[in-house]
Amino acid sequence: MSALRRFLRTPEAVAGAILLAVLIAMALSASLLFPGDPQAIAGPALLPPFQDWSLPLGTDRLGRDVLAELFHGARTSLAVGLAAAAAALVVGAVVGTLAGFAGGLVDEVLMRITDAFQTVPSFLLALAFVSVVGPSLGVVAIALGTWTGPARVARAEVLSIRERDYVAGARVIGMHPLAIAFREVLPNALPPVLAMSSVIVAAAILTEAALSFLGLGDPNRVTWGGMISEGRAVLRTAPFLSIVPGIALVLTVLGVYLAGEGIVETTAVRRGLS
Amino acid sequence: MTALATIRDLTVTYRRDGSEVTALKGVNLDIVAGERLAIIGESGSGKSTLALAVAGLLPASARIEGHIDWFMPPTLGAKAPPSVLPDISPSRGEIGSSTVGSSPTASVIGESGDEGAISPLEGEMSGRTEGGAVERQPFHRSGVPLHGRDIGFVFQDPSASLDPVMTIGKQIAEVARTHLGLTWSQSYARAKSLLERVRLPDPDSALRAFPHQLSGGQKQRVAIAAAIAAGPKVLIADEATSALDTIVQAEIVALIRRLVTEDGMTLLFISHDIALAAELAERVAVFRHGQLVELGMTAQIVGAPAQPYTRALLNAHIGLDTRPLLDRAGLHA
Amino acid sequence: MSLLAVSNLTKRYRRGGKTIAAVDDVSFHVDPGETLALAGPSGSGKSTIARLVLRLIEPDDGRIEFESDDFLALRRAALRARRARLQMVFQDPLAAFNPRATVARVLDDPLRIHGIASRAERPRRIAALLERVGLTADLAPRAIHEISGGQRQRVAIARAIATKPSLIVLDEAVSALDVSVRGEILELLLDLQRQEKIAYLFISHDLGVIRSIAHRVILLDAGRVAENGDARTVIDAPQSAIGKALVAAAPRLNRAGP
Repeated sequence: MSALRRFLRTPEAVAGAILLAVLIAMALSASLLFPGDPQAIAGPALLPPFQDWSLPLGTDRLGRDVLAELFHGARTSLAVGLAAAAAALVVGAVVGTLAGFAGGLVDEVLMRITDAFQTVPSFLLALAFVSVVGPSLGVVAIALGTWTGPARVARAEVLSIRERDYVAGARVIGMHPLAIAFREVLPNALPPVLAMSSVIVAAAILTEAALSFLGLGDPNRVTWGGMISEGRAVLRTAPFLSIVPGIALVLTVLGVYLAGEGIVETTAVRRGLS
Repeated sequence: MTALATIRDLTVTYRRDGSEVTALKGVNLDIVAGERLAIIGESGSGKSTLALAVAGLLPASARIEGHIDWFMPPTLGAKAPPSVLPDISPSRGEIGSSTVGSSPTASVIGESGDEGAISPLEGEMSGRTEGGAVERQPFHRSGVPLHGRDIGFVFQDPSASLDPVMTIGKQIAEVARTHLGLTWSQSYARAKSLLERVRLPDPDSALRAFPHQLSGGQKQRVAIAAAIAAGPKVLIADEATSALDTIVQAEIVALIRRLVTEDGMTLLFISHDIALAAELAERVAVFRHGQLVELGMTAQIVGAPAQPYTRALLNAHIGLDTRPLLDRAGLHA
Repeated sequence: MSLLAVSNLTKRYRRGGKTIAAVDDVSFHVDPGETLALAGPSGSGKSTIARLVLRLIEPDDGRIEFESDDFLALRRAALRARRARLQMVFQDPLAAFNPRATVARVLDDPLRIHGIASRAERPRRIAALLERVGLTADLAPRAIHEISGGQRQRVAIARAIATKPSLIVLDEAVSALDVSVRGEILELLLDLQRQEKIAYLFISHDLGVIRSIAHRVILLDAGRVAENGDARTVIDAPQSAIGKALVAAAPRLNRAGP
């Protein structure tokens, strides 16, 4: 309760939360407000915004409803961004915990693999993966380049936690090493890892948009990156086709980041006081 | 007796996560110039809060009511550059110098101290209205001594109070330079003589050493040297020996006793260990739940405690002559 | 027959290119139901010995026999199973528990791991353990960080006795407690020893407490045994230099009166 109140007292966090709430509302209401295929033709092509109130944001080159595309695109951005970030955090936390807790050869092998992934730029990695496997596994492609950060942070935290008395205590009562790693150590190593989640989600949403922009997104779904790419051809005559999804993207990333920082800040204050 | 400081109705409240915790409740206590006063209590007794309040080191989030009035002679005025002087008001300085001549009489015990404190307290009232406009809070410290120059503070954990990336010599010299207006070379010379005074082996190489190269006891000696570097009138030791083993603890206590005697400092020795405090202090103040339970000369507190809590603390002490629990439990073969 | 027999135990550390023996050729034994105290200044190796005996770290040399078995030869599952008989209580009860744990979870773990009680039976066993150490069963759902230091140390003792051990290592187990609580915890430990015939390896720097509750004492200095014998005999008239220094440094309360 008081954590929520503290969260609401930070203006940036509130702004972020409002942006995120709007985004989530858009994603959830997309099929209610705009049933049917958002990629179907709804009117004349290249209708500018605010001309026809049945198509408030106008239409694109093929006469598709931009507002409907925007709502359905929110769904893709959010789903892919969150799924990729969640995958990256889970894989990173598990790898980092195993490496830090086991030490020795396990640590060496896992951390050299982490190094290998980290030295390749994450966008190139995603690009290469999607061009080989195809766009249906976009989530995996994005997670591939982002799990290394959480893994390093988790390992560093685990290295300090495994020397604590309560880990020795768990060994003394005969707990299995894997149970110690995942029941005693990992939950306590998580806060700094989760603190990275806002950055990772934001990065994942941007990577998804960039992949779609390059035509490597899922062709059966509307994506903001794809919309920007579409609009690029008519940038001079109909700039709103690129600007509208562009603004949506910026606000989403900003919202995720601000809300995430707000949560981290609030929990950090609570931990600092206890 | 000469009061160096009078603490009146001191209440300290910490605000934490919406709720308030009162660490000290209406404490009245006089600190006698030149005495060794022990503040005794268990965890949550408020003894460390009192130490911080006296040193002016309480966090900004703490709410402070009541007042601490100082009657501190401006002994260091001659050595200090004018720039560090203004916070001792001239009027306060006069009161201080008029009272500092008489030496404290050890026979006066705490309870009767209140009468003796009335006159300086009355004189203080005028000063309070002057200062009252400046401070919004009802709390008020007059003739405020400066932490570091007038009050030296030794914390429990020397590894936390020393800067890990600064040489020992520089940490001590910096105190001397800041408060005494010495040049760096004079400050280093003073640092070296201080390290000799705290009996650190090989002071020359210790000047260039970093804290992690020293043992716990040696670090605490360095922390003491830094605390007394500016020649303070008051030394506050807050559980300064609790993290050390028994042998080192005895050495540090002996060191503190010697330094306090040689420099005529007033000592506030904060401890949970009544036996240790009784060996060092002339007077003992027993705290519990933020309140002063009993105050008296050490022999009276230890030999004839008036309060049941003091008696319970004394009975809980397990010394080398205490009847073993094993005998009482009937386990010893 | 000794419960625990340690012989020629040695543990070396490398620090800055130099090898330092934290524990140097130490031998001792603990009989069933007795308290052996290890005392010495910091750096004397007493806590290292505790961790070696519990196999939290491995020795460089020496033998540990526990309940007539070669304790150092036990591996993996066999070692974890035998840990039920050899427990530990730490100095700082807050650091000794997972910060997210509740009292119930802390006591549930050993009962579950060693198959001492079925899932249905465990809440009753937890309540019984809490009552055995002088706490009430309604403490079970509370978080570890909510209860007082003394209550926490009682929970630590309850966890240690949950698996019916024959030996408990007490590593400065009463040093961080308030004096009023310390007495109660010592009484509890003595009562458990009398009722359950538990032996203690009592690590402490406080000779007063050792003299009060230990049968025998070993004084350590720089990783070696300096003196050993009956606790009161040794502390009342120490022969070794370190023994004399420790006794001289202990604070004394002169209660003769003014």
